[in-house]
Amino acid sequence: MEILENKIIRQGLDLKGGMYIVLEVDLPALITNLALNIDHPFENAVEELSEQVNAPDADFFVLFKDAVTKHNLRLPRYYHEYGANVDDIVDRLKDESDDAINRVLEILRNRVDQFGVSEPTIQKQGSSRIIVELAGIQDPERARALLQSTALLEFYLVKDGELTNSLNLKIDKLLKGKEELQELVSGEEDMGDDTSSVNTESILSEDKTIPVSELFGDEGSEDDTSSAVVDQRLFEDRPFSSLLRNLGGDMGVPEKNVYAVKKILSLEDVRAQLESGNGQLFFGNDAQTIIGPDGVEEKIIPLYHLEDAPDLTGGVIEEAREQIGSQAGSTAGQPIVLLDMNNDGAKQWSRITGANVGKRIAIVLDQKVHMAPFIREKIINGGTQIEGFADINEAKDIAIVLRAGALPVPVNIIEERIVGPSLGSDSVRQGTFSVIVGLSLVLLFMLIYYRAAGSIADLALIWNLLLVLAVLASLKATLTLPGIAALILTVGMSIDANVIIFERIREELRKGKTPRAAIDAGYSRAITAIVDANITTVIAALVLFQFGTGPIKGFATVLFWGILISMFTAIFVTRTIFNSFTKGKQLKTLSI
Amino acid sequence: MRIIKETHIKFMSQRRASFMVSLFLILAGIGSLVMKQGPKLGIDFQGGTLIAVQFTQPMEITHIRSALNAVPLDGRVIDLSKEEMKHFGGETNVAIRLTPRENEGEQFVQSVITHLSTSFPDLVPEDSKDFILTIEKVGPKIGAELSGKAVMAIGSALILILLYISIRFEFIFALGAIIALSHDVLITLGIFSILDYEISLPIIAAFLTIVGYSLNDTIIIFDRIRENIKSNKRASYIDTVDKSINQSISRTLITSLTTFLVVFILWVFGGEVIHLFAFAMMVGVIIGTYSSIYIASPFIVLLHSGKHTK
Repeated sequence: MEILENKIIRQGLDLKGGMYIVLEVDLPALITNLALNIDHPFENAVEELSEQVNAPDADFFVLFKDAVTKHNLRLPRYYHEYGANVDDIVDRLKDESDDAINRVLEILRNRVDQFGVSEPTIQKQGSSRIIVELAGIQDPERARALLQSTALLEFYLVKDGELTNSLNLKIDKLLKGKEELQELVSGEEDMGDDTSSVNTESILSEDKTIPVSELFGDEGSEDDTSSAVVDQRLFEDRPFSSLLRNLGGDMGVPEKNVYAVKKILSLEDVRAQLESGNGQLFFGNDAQTIIGPDGVEEKIIPLYHLEDAPDLTGGVIEEAREQIGSQAGSTAGQPIVLLDMNNDGAKQWSRITGANVGKRIAIVLDQKVHMAPFIREKIINGGTQIEGFADINEAKDIAIVLRAGALPVPVNIIEERIVGPSLGSDSVRQGTFSVIVGLSLVLLFMLIYYRAAGSIADLALIWNLLLVLAVLASLKATLTLPGIAALILTVGMSIDANVIIFERIREELRKGKTPRAAIDAGYSRAITAIVDANITTVIAALVLFQFGTGPIKGFATVLFWGILISMFTAIFVTRTIFNSFTKGKQLKTLSI
Repeated sequence: MRIIKETHIKFMSQRRASFMVSLFLILAGIGSLVMKQGPKLGIDFQGGTLIAVQFTQPMEITHIRSALNAVPLDGRVIDLSKEEMKHFGGETNVAIRLTPRENEGEQFVQSVITHLSTSFPDLVPEDSKDFILTIEKVGPKIGAELSGKAVMAIGSALILILLYISIRFEFIFALGAIIALSHDVLITLGIFSILDYEISLPIIAAFLTIVGYSLNDTIIIFDRIRENIKSNKRASYIDTVDKSINQSISRTLITSLTTFLVVFILWVFGGEVIHLFAFAMMVGVIIGTYSSIYIASPFIVLLHSGKHTK
């Protein structure tokens, strides 16, 4: 059994362990990327759309058309290249989305191949989803990152420090007028001894922990006991700056404050303030551990103030490889990724670096700043390197995604099932054991109850199981745990056909028929009952196959073939054996 | 060998008692369903995350709860101590079901797992890949779709079967069969609700198999009724039905026994993942056998007499 499963029939992920992921292409993001002249009505419509597409079985483009009508959007304004009327434009957008998902598929295949997983399955489902099955994945987090990272590499110039300082002051001013913050200040005493807030390391003696949920009046997050570490007086005066720390000339955000800072940055007028200065704030990829004045370790994540438009993007990358930094350099012993650009990229890179000597340029991957070095001199050959990785594995994965290229549109994980190797092997062991025990009991029962006829039925049953396995193997079907369950069920149900026949033969014998006549009558009378009864189960199996996903399909497949084959073996195979025994002999008794 | 000798049980005269029993079972189930506001749905249908981990020694659920009351996530600290937790298979394994929350982010699951392993450093298997037994994460959208599919599947299976039996037998046979099937699924659903068992995707598959299985039993009896009506047209309908059940009773019981045997083995030895599935099948086999004798057949007698007195 085990040998059969290992050698001939592919095992499902639930048996050998692995990862099953359903990714959905972010269509609202795609149409936003394609649109020109984006304005507020358009943004509102897309935001609403992002909510609506979460409804089950939603068709994005139908919703999109509705939204266009509802918000009175003049589509040609945003997509003038795609045509002049709504239908043409939507058709073109559909083509673009098909194209995008095919490219995503291609890129993901590329990434997974380079990652080195045996027999991965990557396939499209419907119009916007991709199913990825990876066997034997041991580090789900890594696999997830590999699939989901957009791999968008961008180079932004870093704004100079004075601009950043004035930006912080402006944000402080904006927040100071905020009513939410006024409420916070007045209600602070109560919150200070809120038992639910976690005791955080304090930097100054007056530090208070302030639940972020109180700060912004979050709804429905009672279990959020987040708290930010701030100096109380400073916070009253400069709400934003007080959340930040100095990190060797850059801004830094203590880990505890990250959530609060993100909240602030997502406020409407803060965003407007950033936009008006043509800047944006990005977090760094890794945290730095700083030991505070009182000796407590604190993780601080850098925050960078960048220009809002990238000077160069990753499309120009031709080759990327991971490496451990050489002994001599500043990156000695650290994992780095070396990049080579194509001709066009190298030209641009040399122009940019040449024009901005002395300034800093941030290398941003998927909206996280990996490094922001000073440009010391013009770089002519298009080579550069990225630092700031946790370990060589991360560097290796980043090199893979950079080589495979950026996804044309972000993807979201909407379903994920992981089975660890130990659970998988447990399932195989327990499943196999159940099959053997269940099968033996049934075989034994039939032998005792029907004697010689029972042994014929037993033969048919074993033959039946072998055939089912053979069919599964030839169909290249995967055997899942529910599949094993179906196999066991087939054992129970396929014996039924023989029970029906044997009981009928016994009945005919009691009526005084000869063994030969009883066998004939038994088979011919029982056959309609068997067919009718089994067809209904076949219907159930077909329906399951149609509607089911993954494991359920496995169950349905085995059940379907199990029933069909059991009808064949129970009716024809046993009949043939009976006939060959009774042929030419005048049997007086029948061992049944 | 022969266990069941020729029987002459008047099944139809017992139908009042059997209807009472069924009614009681169904009402108890519906009562529980109403009290608990519907069946307890798994993450397959509601969305959410299930994490099962394995420790090297038996682990108390209360320890996990207290460890999870402050999980750091992305600069926040969240309290997960009120989420549903239980042992998964053995005492060393723990399953945690997390309800979906807004903006949980990609790091959510990983943060919980990391937090668990750092909370009990001595109890985590040396090979870290053995720590995670399974992670299932279903987005709310997929959950809603799967619910729709499950309802569609059961609905369309019932309709197709109704159609098939109407063609092969008579419409009242189909009605009797469908009543028996609904009876089986309702009672199994009720038992799941009373025992507080979760309805997941495999359980829906089990329900459909129960439907197929119970029908199998019912049709064997119907087939006999059809045959007996043809061969003896003068006998009363009730007598014919009784005779048919008696004639097929030994087959019904033997098949039910062998099927019960294998699902029982699966229930005991099959492992945690299909434990509930096997349980549903076990209940289904018993209820299905009972209903084909005591529900489906009496109903066609009722439906038949109703048809002929009009």
